[in-house]
Formats: sequence, structure tokens, C-alpha cells
Amino acid sequence: MRTLSSFMRRKVVTESGRKLGYCHDIRAELTARKLEVTGLCVGRSGLVEHFGLRAHSRHDEVPWSSVVRIEGDRIIVSDNA
Amino acid sequence: MPSLDLGLGILDRQLLDSEGRRCGNVDDLAIEGGPGETPHVVAILVGPGYWPQRAGWIGRLAGWIGGGKRVRVPWEDVAEVSSHVKLRKRAAELGLGTGDDRLRPLLEKIPGADR
Amino acid sequence: MNKIFGLALGILAAIGGFVDIGDLVFNTAAGATFGYQLMWVIPIGVVGIIVYSEMCGRVAAVSGKAVFDAVRERVGFKAGLGALVSSEVVNLMTLAAELGGVAIALQLLCGLPYRWLIVLAVIGFAVVIWITSFNWLERIFGYGGLCMLVFAVAAVKLAPDWTKVGNGFIPHISQNNPWLYLYFVVGLLGAAMTPYEVYFYSSGGVEEEWKPSDLGLNRANAIVGYALGGTLSIALMIVGGVFFLAHGINPEHLGTIALGAQQPLGEIGLLLAIVGILFAVGGASIDTVFSGAYNLAQFCGWEWGRYRHPSGAPRFTITWLVLLVLGMGIVLTGVDPVVLTEYAVIFSVVALPLTYVPILLVANDRSYMGQYRNGRLANILGALYLLIIMVVALTAVPLMIITNAGQN
Repeated sequence: MRTLSSFMRRKVVTESGRKLGYCHDIRAELTARKLEVTGLCVGRSGLVEHFGLRAHSRHDEVPWSSVVRIEGDRIIVSDNA
Repeated sequence: MPSLDLGLGILDRQLLDSEGRRCGNVDDLAIEGGPGETPHVVAILVGPGYWPQRAGWIGRLAGWIGGGKRVRVPWEDVAEVSSHVKLRKRAAELGLGTGDDRLRPLLEKIPGADR
Repeated sequence: MNKIFGLALGILAAIGGFVDIGDLVFNTAAGATFGYQLMWVIPIGVVGIIVYSEMCGRVAAVSGKAVFDAVRERVGFKAGLGALVSSEVVNLMTLAAELGGVAIALQLLCGLPYRWLIVLAVIGFAVVIWITSFNWLERIFGYGGLCMLVFAVAAVKLAPDWTKVGNGFIPHISQNNPWLYLYFVVGLLGAAMTPYEVYFYSSGGVEEEWKPSDLGLNRANAIVGYALGGTLSIALMIVGGVFFLAHGINPEHLGTIALGAQQPLGEIGLLLAIVGILFAVGGASIDTVFSGAYNLAQFCGWEWGRYRHPSGAPRFTITWLVLLVLGMGIVLTGVDPVVLTEYAVIFSVVALPLTYVPILLVANDRSYMGQYRNGRLANILGALYLLIIMVVALTAVPLMIITNAGQN
């Protein structure tokens, strides 16, 4: 079991080590019964994003299916993410 | 299917119980399921006990001052997500709003408290 | 017709409630030290509070949320916690200063010992807030505060050189003692743009269940009320300039400030001045203590509301009671309320950016405000004032140190 807060501001890198940015949010789909995670909102770090001044407008969504593993302080995604 | 960003759209929102009573904020969310599965949100986490993980040492201090309480509200008990998060049950049934419940009898001893 | 009547009453209450102890102290001291040279700062401060109050009122009417409620959601937990802590600290200092002012005013009226009056005043407030409906509270203190208009009459009667007064509205920096002059600029702005006021206004709007259709009325209320209240600040500065400057009096005591109304208007002037101070500062104390309770309750997600009976929002109720007691404790240490006021105003200036940046963010956010988000005018003014606030916030403490808190 993880918490939402544990995802936030983790580095997102590909398996080959390319840095994609930081995880700023998690996108999910709300159904009648469930709230299912569909992907990560990844973007540059910085105070601007942190304080929501750009409110996620510059983010790319990385689909959850691309997430390979979560270890240490980073989230590792597949190379074609 | 409406899609929403958890941090922007649910986190830190006000919780209202089935009677419209304010009973806490969404302090964190519990997510189950890892890479390779479809993770879903299983519970809303409420209480100062969840503040340390939000804000480091300041959160630890604030959480300690706040009493460190932790309450898990299963996602099934969520009725609606809008500008607030509305719950299906009353606060007391979910273990929320206990601070107010505990202090209410104290105040009611003072005349005029229910004017 | 009813709406016009309601608007008029609201404006009267806003005038009576505009002046708090910070305005009293800084405006008269500014007049006593620099004559009319700082007049130009007053309109800037008034427009500033109007701009941000309007935003806060709009947030309440459109989103149904009080501004501090939205702050945590919008800027996140950490920044929200920072805003909470800073606003509570500043709030408490301001509250203590206001309570001290109330006690002094009471002492001038009845002569009982100051320390007793602090305790009596706090108990009195607690009782009055507990049993009185908030509408009545606002009316009593708002209309009572109208006695402050005696200073406007006094200002006219003291026959200042109106040309010189007019010149004071042209922005300039005094060559004579520039650091002290700038310290007063900072203090006057801080006294006009008090943070507790915007939080209180916003929470009040939610409680009154303002809707977008109420926006026009509330805008009018705020603009006219604050603008007219600003004339009271002008009056105080004129009194300072004509009466205190001429006699070389430094109005370091509230009683001295009231004397400014006695000279032109006699004993009745003095009485009205003291009563006006009592109600204006008393009303401000109540706004301040509620603002503190609102912010904490909203950050933590507790039930809150001054219209709920006390047992309907226990933690909120206990918060304002505790804040009253803490404020009382600070005043009972014997600290001079005027000195405390200066520190409270300067510290609230330092915290102003943390107060106003989130307001600007929320008021611009489409998801909260929809079509009512800030238009170009609101954003130009909001950004301009943010710049002013930043400059003032950064220079406040250095100026306080350089001028030894205005003792120069």
C-alpha cells in the first residue's frame, strides 16, 4: 500500500537512465465504485510547479502501464514512455 | 469516464459527511496496486497523524501538536467528489470529527452554548 | 429600496470598523512627525485593501469557500501550513495590541486600573460574543465606531492649511529624516492592509452564503466603506499634523490621540473620541480573534462558523476563546500597547506576501472561479500591489531596526 504523497516529487527516469522529470500528480479515472489510477503527471520540478502556478499545464502524462518499478526515491518507467 | 488529478482534485479538500457536517480534510490517499497491475485508491487518510509525510519536519511538529490522530475512510464510503468530498455515512460512524464530539459536552455545560 | 438601506447600513458599519489600533497609532504619529507629507500613502493603502477584499469576497461568493480554505487546496499543505503559522502569530500580536487599546480606552472612561480592565474587557468580549448574534455584534461595534467621525470634524475645525494638505497627496520622499519617513510609509501601508480583515471578510461571505448575484452589492459595500473609512485615516493625520506637530506632542498614548479631538471640540469631542476608539478597536479585536479561529479551523477541516451556536463548532469556539486568553496574557505582561501595535503592524507587513499571493492565485483559478476569475483590471492591480507588498515586506524589518522602531 502506498500513499499519494509518497509518489509526489519523486524523480521519474527511464530504464536506460533518461530523466523525464518529477512526478507532480497522479491521474485517475472515477467510476461509480472505484477510483483507478491511469497515469502519472510528470514534469519539470521547480517552485513554479510546486506552488501550482502553472497548475499542471505543462505536464506529460505517463500511462501507468509504462511504470516498471518503484525503488528508492525514483519511479522507473519503460524506455518508450 | 471523468478523469481527475488526485493532487489537484481530491487532496486537501474538505470532507463533508452525509449530513453536510465538516469533518476533516483529505490529508492523504491510500493506493493499492503496483507496477503491472491497475492501482486504485482504497482509502482517504485523515488526521494530523498523516501530516509528517506531507511536510517533513514541520509536518511532524504540526502533527504532534495536532495529536497525531489517524483515520482511514474506505473509498466505498465516498459519495461524491466535487469542490468538497462528500461521504456516505455520518462522521461519527467513520471515526471523524471526534475532536468536536469530545469537546461538545464540555461546552454544552456553559449556558447559551446552543443558542 | 431594502437593498439600498442594507447597503447604507453596511457602509456605515464598514466606516466605523475601518480604523483599528494600527491606523490610530500610525496615522496620528505620521501627522505628528511629518505633518501632511505622508498623505499620499493613505489612498494607496485604501485601494490595496479594496483590491484584495474584493478578490476575497468574490472567491467566497463564487466558490463558496473562504479564502484560507482554498489556500491549502491551491498551494499545497506545506505552503498552507506556512501561511497558517505566520498568520496566527501576526494575528495574535495584533489581537493583543487591540485588547490593550480597548483597555486604555476603558481606563480613560472610567479610571479603573489598567490590568483589571484588560481582564474585564476580555471576559466582556467572551460573554458578548457568546450570547450576541453576530449581526448585532457587527452593528453595535460598527455604529459605535462611527463616533470616530469626531476626528473628521476636529480635523476641519482645526483649520489646517488645505493647500499643504493637498500637496501631501503628491508622492515624494522627505529630505528630512528619510529613513523615518520610509518607516512610516511601511507602517501606514501595513496598518491599512491588515491581513485579518481579508480573511474575516471572506469567511463572513461564506457564512452569509453570498452568491455571484451578490457581488455587485458587496463590491459597492467594500469600495465605499473602505474609501470613506480612509477619510478617517486622513482626518487622523491632519489632527496629528495640526495639533500634535504644532505643539511638539508625540502621541505615544491613546489618551493623547483623543486629546486631538478635545482641543477643537471640547469635552464632548474628547468623550466621542474615546468612545469611538473603544468601539473601533473593540470591533477590530473581534474581527481579529475570529480571523485566527477561522484560519485554524479551515486548515484543519473542522466545523466552523460564527453563526453556529458554540456547541455546533466546539474546536472553533475553543480556538477563539484560547486566542482571547493568549492575547490577554500578552497584554498583561505590561508591554506598552502602542509599542506592541507598531511591532504587530510591521510583522504583519512582513507576512503580507504569504497572505496575498495565495489570494491572487485562488482568484485567478478557473476551477474555483469559472467565469468570475480575475479580469485584466483585477490582475493588473493585484500584481501591482503584490510588487508593493514585496518591497514593503523586505524593507520593513531593516527600517524598523534603522529607525529604532520610529524612535528616531
